Amino acid sequence: MTDTKIDTKIVDVLAVFPDLEPAANAIEQLRTLGVHDDCMNVISGIPVTEAMLGRPHQWTNVPRIAMGGAILGFLGAVFLAYIAPFLYPYPIQVSTQSFIPGPPTAVVLFELTMLGMLLSTFLGVFLDSLFPNYRPMKYVPEISDGKIAILVECPHADEKKIMDALMKTGAESVRPAEAQHL
Amino acid sequence: MIRPEEIKMSEEETGKWGMVINQDLCTGCQACVAACAMENNISFVGEVDSGYGRSMHWIRIERFWEGEYPEVKMTPQQPMLCQQCGHANCEPVCPAYATVHSQAEKLNLQVYNRCVGTRYCANNCPYQVRAFNWRDYKRPEPLPNQLNPDVTVRRMGVMEKCTFCIQRIHKAQDVAKSEGREVYDGEFTTACAQACPANAIVFGRVDHPESLVSQLARKGHGIKHLEELGTYPQITYFKEG
Amino acid sequence: MSDLKQHKDAAKSHEEHLREKHLMLDPLPRGKMNEMVMEAMMAPPTWKWWLVFTLLAGFVVWGLFYKWGVLITKGQGEAGVMRPDYWGIFLVNTVFWIGISHAGTFISAILRVFRSEFRRPFTRAAELMTTFGLVQAGFSIFMHMGRVWLAYWLMPYPNQRMLWPNLHSPLTWDLLAITTYVLGSTMYLFLPLIPDMAMARDRSTGWRKTFYKILALGFRGTEGEWTHLRNAMNIFAFAIIPVMFSVHTIVSWDFAAATRPGWNSTIFGPYFVIGALHSGMGAAIAVLAVIRGTMKNMKYFIRPEHFDAVGKLMLIISMGWTYFFFNDYMVQWYGGDKWTRQLLHFHEAGPLGWLWFVMLISNIAIPWAILWNQKWRSTPWLVATVGIIINVGMWIERYVIIPISVTINRMPFTWRMYTPGIEIPMGLGTVALFILLYMIASKLIPLIPVWEVQEGQMAHAFKKFGRETVVTVSELE
Repeated sequence: MTDTKIDTKIVDVLAVFPDLEPAANAIEQLRTLGVHDDCMNVISGIPVTEAMLGRPHQWTNVPRIAMGGAILGFLGAVFLAYIAPFLYPYPIQVSTQSFIPGPPTAVVLFELTMLGMLLSTFLGVFLDSLFPNYRPMKYVPEISDGKIAILVECPHADEKKIMDALMKTGAESVRPAEAQHL
Repeated sequence: MIRPEEIKMSEEETGKWGMVINQDLCTGCQACVAACAMENNISFVGEVDSGYGRSMHWIRIERFWEGEYPEVKMTPQQPMLCQQCGHANCEPVCPAYATVHSQAEKLNLQVYNRCVGTRYCANNCPYQVRAFNWRDYKRPEPLPNQLNPDVTVRRMGVMEKCTFCIQRIHKAQDVAKSEGREVYDGEFTTACAQACPANAIVFGRVDHPESLVSQLARKGHGIKHLEELGTYPQITYFKEG
Repeated sequence: MSDLKQHKDAAKSHEEHLREKHLMLDPLPRGKMNEMVMEAMMAPPTWKWWLVFTLLAGFVVWGLFYKWGVLITKGQGEAGVMRPDYWGIFLVNTVFWIGISHAGTFISAILRVFRSEFRRPFTRAAELMTTFGLVQAGFSIFMHMGRVWLAYWLMPYPNQRMLWPNLHSPLTWDLLAITTYVLGSTMYLFLPLIPDMAMARDRSTGWRKTFYKILALGFRGTEGEWTHLRNAMNIFAFAIIPVMFSVHTIVSWDFAAATRPGWNSTIFGPYFVIGALHSGMGAAIAVLAVIRGTMKNMKYFIRPEHFDAVGKLMLIISMGWTYFFFNDYMVQWYGGDKWTRQLLHFHEAGPLGWLWFVMLISNIAIPWAILWNQKWRSTPWLVATVGIIINVGMWIERYVIIPISVTINRMPFTWRMYTPGIEIPMGLGTVALFILLYMIASKLIPLIPVWEVQEGQMAHAFKKFGRETVVTVSELE
C-alpha cells in the first residue's frame, strides 16, 4: 500500500452523545469543518426529528408506496367486482339482485383498497430501509439505551481533526467505526 | 361473455313451475314425505337426531293446536316445502354461489358439491325448509338398492332442499324434445304430488294459463305464505273452502 | 417569609405527588427501563408458570384440536346446532373474539391519533390481544363450517370452474374484512416492535440473540429507518381505524342483512362496534392487571393511573352500549311486528330469560356502579374484575342475539331450543389458546414499548403558571 492510497481512503467515525443538545452542536461543528450533510448519519434509540438536530429533510417513499398499494388494491377490487362476474361461462344470478350489486361492491372496493394500502405500507418500510439486512453494520449497542450516535464519513486525512471536534462538543466516546455483526 | 342486460330479473316475470296445495284435502298421511325421501335419496336421520330437530325431509306436514284447553282446535294439515321463491333470500347470502337461481327453469338450485356448509341460506330462509346434512348418515342394507340413480347422494356438511324434482322435469323435457313437441300439462309430476292419495298437491306450469295448476290457482281464495316479505313464492295454498 | 417557604414546599410535594402518580412524569434512564423490561421478559418461568402452561396446553390439545378432529370426522351433528338454530356457539365465539380484538386497535390507533399519552406503556399488550383474539376468531369461524376443508373456495382465486366468490354475500365481505384486519393488525403490531427487537438483540445472548436478530431485521435506528417507520405507523394508525369499524359492522351485517325477526335492524352496525369495544376494553384491562400482578418491574410501567384512564373509557363505552341497546330494543318493541314481539318476549320471559337479565346487570349495572368512583376505578383488581364481568355479559349478549334469537322464526312449527354440545370444550379451548399464546409472548416479546415510553417521558415537563405547577406535553412528532 502506498501513502497516496491511504490519504484518499474514506473512513467512518462514530461518536456517541448522551443528549440532543451536544449532538446538535456537533453537527453544526462538523458542517463548519466542511463535512457535507450527506456524509453524516444520526443513529438514535428513539425517533429524533430532523428539525431537532438541524438536519436536512429526510426523504421517505413510504406514503407513495402506500398510495401505490392502495391503487393496486382498488384495481384488484374493481377486477373482482366488475370484471370477474363476466368471466363466468354462464350467467349466475342470485335472487333478484342485480348482476353487479351496488352497495356490496362499495364494501369490497373499500376493504381491498385498505388491504392494498396496509400491505404496501408495511412493504414500504422494508423497501426503504433495506430490511431485512443481516450484514455487519456500523453500530454500538449503547444506542438502544437512548444515546445518540453520529456516524461521519470523512477522508482519512481529516479523521483526527474531526474526532477532536466531536470530542470537544461533548461526545461520550469517539472511535473509528467498524462494521460488526449486530 | 355475458351482458348484464341478458339477465332477467325474476321479479318482473312469473315463475315457470309452481304448485297448488289444498290443505282441506290433505289428510296428513305423510305419503308425500316418504315419496320425496325415496325419490331424492334423502338420508335417514334416525330417532335421536330427528327428535333434536335434525330431520332431513324436503317436505314436512305441519299441524298446530289453536286456542287454550279445553277449547282447542286443530288447524288443517299444512305441507311445507321449498317455495321456489322468485326473490329468494337464501341465494345472495351464500359466499360460494352454492345456491343460485336457474334462468331456464326459474327454480332455486342447490349445488351440493359447491356447498361449504356455512348454513347462512338456511338461516335466511323464512320458510325454514332447508335441510342440512349434520352427519354422514348410514343407509342399512338393502336400502342402498333403492337409491335413485338420477339424483346425487349428499354427504355430511352439505345443505339440501326441495328441487321440485328437477330430475323429472329434465327427463320429461328430454322426452318431449326427442319427440319434437312441448311438455304437456300433467305429463309428469313431482314425487310428492304423485304419491298424494287425496290429490291435495298439484304441480305444473304456472306460466301457462290453461294448465291445471294455473286454473286452480286462479280460483281466488288461495294464499301464498309470508307473501308480505316479497319473496314471490311459487306455491299457492287453499284452506277452508 | 415562612408563607413563601410553605408554598414552595407545597408545590414541591405537589410535583412529587404527580411524579408518583404518572409514569410520563417519572422518567428513568432508558438503559434502566430497558433492563427492567428485559428482566421481566427473561425471568425464568416459575413452577406456577409451568403448571398453568401445562394445564392450558393440555386443554388446547384436547378441547381444541382433538375435539375439532372429532367434529370434522363426525360432522356438525356433534355440535348443538339443528333447525332452526343453524348458527350456534361457534359464531357466538367468533363475534366475541373479534370484539375482544377491537380494544387493541382502539388503544393503539385511536388513542394514538388523539395523542392520549396514557396509552404509551400498554399499546403493545393491547395489540397482542388483537392478534391473538383474531386467531381465536378465525378458529371459531372455521369450526362452524360444515366442510371446512373447502374453506379456500371462499378466497378469490382463478380456477378451472371459473367461479369467484359471491360478492353479494355478507360472509364474503366478512372474509375480506377479517383478512384485511388480521393482516393489518399483525403488521401494526410488528412495526413498533422492530426498535424493541433491536433493543432486545443488543441485550441478549444465545438463541434469544438469534431470535431477536432475525426479528429486528437489522434495525439500527438511523434517521432514515426512523422516518420510514414513523411514516408507516402514522399511516397505519389512521388507516386501521376505518378497517376496525368496518370489520365489526360487517360482522353485524351477517345478522342484520338476514330476513329474521330481531336481526333485521339498521342499528346493528354501530351497536356491534360499541359492543366490541365494551368487551375489548374489559379484556384489555384484565390482561393489564395480570401483567402488572405477575411480571417483574411492571408496577413501574403500569400504574393505577392507567386503570383510572381505561376505567373512564369503559364507563363511557358502557353508556354508549346502553344507548344503542335501548335504541335497538325500543324501536323493535314499538314496531309491534308479530314475530318481533314474540322474540322480545322470548328474550325476557323465555326459559333463558335470566340470561337476558344477567347481560344487563353485567354490561350496565355493575360497570356503572363501580367505575364512577375514581378511587375504585384506580384499583387494579377491581377494574379487572369489572372487565371480566363485562366480558361475561357481552358473551351472553351474543348468545342472546344468535342461538336464542334464531329459536323464534316465522315458522312456529320449527321452534326449538338450542343445547350446546361439542361447542363447550372447543370454545373453552380457544380461551385456553388465547391465554397460552399470551403467556408464550410474554416470555418472547418485550411487552412494554420502551422507546415509546421514553419518547413520552421526554415530551412531558412541568411548567409554572404563577405559583401553580402544571404538566405540559409537547408534540415531538
